[in-house]
Amino acid sequence: MLKPILLVEDDKRDLELTLIALERSQLANEVVIMRDGAQALDYLRREGDFAGRDAGNPAVVLLDLKLPKVNGLEVLQAVRADPALRSLPVVMLTSSQEENDVVKSYELGVNAYVVKPVAFDRFVSAIGDLGVFWAVLNEPPPGSSKASRRGEPL
Amino acid sequence: MHGLKSRASCTLSCARPQAVLPLFMTSNPGLPPTADPDLFSCHTEPIRVPGAIQPHGRLLVLDASTRQLLASSDNWPDGSLQAALAHLTSSALPANPPGAVPVSLGVWAAQAGERWDVSAHCTDRHLLAEFEPAAPADGNGAPIYSLTRIFLPRLQAASSIEQLAQLAATEMKRLTGFGRCMVYRFDDAGHGQVLAEDVDPGYDSYAGHHFPADDIPLQARALYVLNQFRLIADANYTPVALRIHGAALQPSDIDLSQAQLRSVSPVHLEYMRNMGTLSSMSVSIVIEGRLWGLVSCHGHAPRHVGVATRLACEHLGQLLALQIQSKEATSQVAEQLALRQLTLEIVSHLSESDGTLSLLAQVPAMLRFARASGVAVVRDDEVWSVGEVPPQQAVMDLANWIEGLGAEVFHSHQLAQDHAPAQGFKDVAAGVLAVSISQVHRHVILWFRPEIVKTVTWAGNPRKNQVAADGRIHPRRSFDSWQERIRGACLPWSAAEVAVAGELRQALIGIVLRRAEEFEEVAHELTRVNKELEAFSYTVSHDLRAPMRHIAGYVDLVVDLEKKALSERALRYLGNVKDAAAYAGQLVDALLDFSRMGRAALKQRPVDMQVLLQELVRELSRQEPGRNVQWALEPSYPELFGDPLLLQVATRNFLSNALKYSRGRDPARITVRALRRPEGDGIEVEDNGVGFSMEYANKLFGVFQRLHQADEFEGTGIGLAIVKRIVERHGGTVWGSGTPDQGARFGFILPRVAPAAAADAPSPSKNNPSPRSL
Repeated sequence: MLKPILLVEDDKRDLELTLIALERSQLANEVVIMRDGAQALDYLRREGDFAGRDAGNPAVVLLDLKLPKVNGLEVLQAVRADPALRSLPVVMLTSSQEENDVVKSYELGVNAYVVKPVAFDRFVSAIGDLGVFWAVLNEPPPGSSKASRRGEPL
Repeated sequence: MHGLKSRASCTLSCARPQAVLPLFMTSNPGLPPTADPDLFSCHTEPIRVPGAIQPHGRLLVLDASTRQLLASSDNWPDGSLQAALAHLTSSALPANPPGAVPVSLGVWAAQAGERWDVSAHCTDRHLLAEFEPAAPADGNGAPIYSLTRIFLPRLQAASSIEQLAQLAATEMKRLTGFGRCMVYRFDDAGHGQVLAEDVDPGYDSYAGHHFPADDIPLQARALYVLNQFRLIADANYTPVALRIHGAALQPSDIDLSQAQLRSVSPVHLEYMRNMGTLSSMSVSIVIEGRLWGLVSCHGHAPRHVGVATRLACEHLGQLLALQIQSKEATSQVAEQLALRQLTLEIVSHLSESDGTLSLLAQVPAMLRFARASGVAVVRDDEVWSVGEVPPQQAVMDLANWIEGLGAEVFHSHQLAQDHAPAQGFKDVAAGVLAVSISQVHRHVILWFRPEIVKTVTWAGNPRKNQVAADGRIHPRRSFDSWQERIRGACLPWSAAEVAVAGELRQALIGIVLRRAEEFEEVAHELTRVNKELEAFSYTVSHDLRAPMRHIAGYVDLVVDLEKKALSERALRYLGNVKDAAAYAGQLVDALLDFSRMGRAALKQRPVDMQVLLQELVRELSRQEPGRNVQWALEPSYPELFGDPLLLQVATRNFLSNALKYSRGRDPARITVRALRRPEGDGIEVEDNGVGFSMEYANKLFGVFQRLHQADEFEGTGIGLAIVKRIVERHGGTVWGSGTPDQGARFGFILPRVAPAAAADAPSPSKNNPSPRSL
């Protein structure tokens, strides 16, 4: 009963590399992909295109900072303001090392802030560690969606 | 002229050199008039209402409105009064307002062949008619015609005020026949100086002599402006009293200010007799309502001056006044023009600069501007100067004192009298001209002139008492020349210099204000640029690192997936691609670090360098365990005041550089010295590595400057730039020196700052350019 990982990433190369990294980390969790902040919020709130999806929150949200429409910080803010989403684990996965971004993210209640390493092997291990920690080791708050193992029907 | 500040007494003054000044009295308001029972109250002497006239003419006083006879001089023969009154009644009496000059009523041919020149004027209550013996009519030979025909053209040709005065003295003597005629001028303090004279043999010369201001009391000066002609025809005269014809009137009620026949004080007559001067006359030189000077004439014998001659003399005085006024105006305009040109030069010089008024001390025109020998610019606690100026502290004190006066422009040519400490530097600055630029800050510009010791020849010792054996003070008996050396004064500042200094002040204020605005604009611009820079580094941070990561990532993927299919060479190429991408990523990170160092707020506190160094050495030693490195640390290091994190970054850069560039030395020796210097504390790191040539020392601390090939020593070339930025943000200094193949030495020093005084951010003067004055 694994919950999905929500990956919010607009850059297709980053997306591909992240998915490869997740794949290499042998996680069984499903990865739900959203390409911008607005879409991500719709998914989480089960609104718009996602009004019909099953109830339940993902195990963790891997959130890029710089996103089209609604940026990562705004997504985070909206999540923390929503009673149904408030306790959802959110990890910033970003290129930005700016102190400002780090400080703001923590102020808004991010659970972790990870700067993507340039070297691919380190990137893979970083993503793997993240996935294992949040999707496997971490006990998510009640109300998280019931996730299925890879290959199993929803 | 300041030798005369010590006035003797009222009485002494009263008895002073009246041979020259037709009035005989002077005042001394500083002393009580009753100090001595024998003394006159000089300044209260009723010179306008003496109640008597001189005997060479006769006077009638009528009621101004009813024309009823109120008084007459006591020298009308019996029966003649009625005829004179009758003549007056038949004449067209003046309707001019009180205070206007007397008008001539023509010649009255009285009986027995007597002919009288009659003139009349009004006071606010009375009509005064004066009768003087008429001279025979001169026709075209009348003095007034020669004056116009001959004298006026000469006057116009004169090139200087002294020449004008000489012409006037000679002409006056020719017109009146007095034995001595002189023209003199009053200075600002009221002292008189003889400009020109014409004397007959047997008369003393007073050319160039000075007469102290005390000689003429204020009330007499006022009378000289009002009534510009005065005659004492015979010093031996017996005054003729005024006889009152009505009941409710005293002789002293009759104002004789405008009367030509007005009687003068017996003391003055005594003095005239003492001096052998039996007649005297004076004509005022009045310019713009101010008593500029006098034409003064004396005779050894009694001398009457007829009405026609008197009119010519009055006219001469007016012509002279006009000519002097025009000469003075012309020269002042010329002087002001020249000064304005200098002002322009100064202002334009300053406009081209950043507007700091301290630069004024470098503008050559500043000295010429006020014909000064020294200029000082004072701003708050700083002094800039050029030429001869008093010691810095004295200039500061003086500027302080001048600021305290609250005047925009201050000038004194005898500074020590106003500001006692100036006595100490009068040889370089006996006088000062100063403008105060700002009321908020102390911001004063001062011009100095040195002392000029001047010898003044007074007509008689101005301080010598004239007390006789009977204890009474008598008028002076001698005008023997008496010389005085005047000290403590410089060449006086001219009106034009003072006026243009005020204009310069305005112009400077304009510049200072404009600069303040410009600084504000720059500050705004800086803020804007900083924001832009922040946005830029954000973009760099986020967007530039992503492609580097992608390149590295995909290369790894290719190698992972296709390792077996790829040639050795292709794999090497891909390795290069990956290294290049990684290096580019490092460069981006280094650049971001550098930019962060400049922007992050300083969190300053005491930093224990001892601990910091030990930890760094331990950490760095672990990185290259195989090397033989001899660290030489001192037993103790000074505590520095700074941001602990940034100081660690700076120190780590020094130490890791030393470690890096001494690679290959066995042993590598790295010495860390403690520096305790007057300007602050710091450290210096020395290694025995490859060093560098001092030729490139100026490039050491630049961004991305490298003195070694990249293959030889890894790195981005930004470390020392970061150190420099950190040290400079702490207000410290950083340096580096080296010798190729011998080693290098790098150090920094931070100022010692009291924790209370240390602000969080860089000092305001650096980040928020503020107007430097106002």
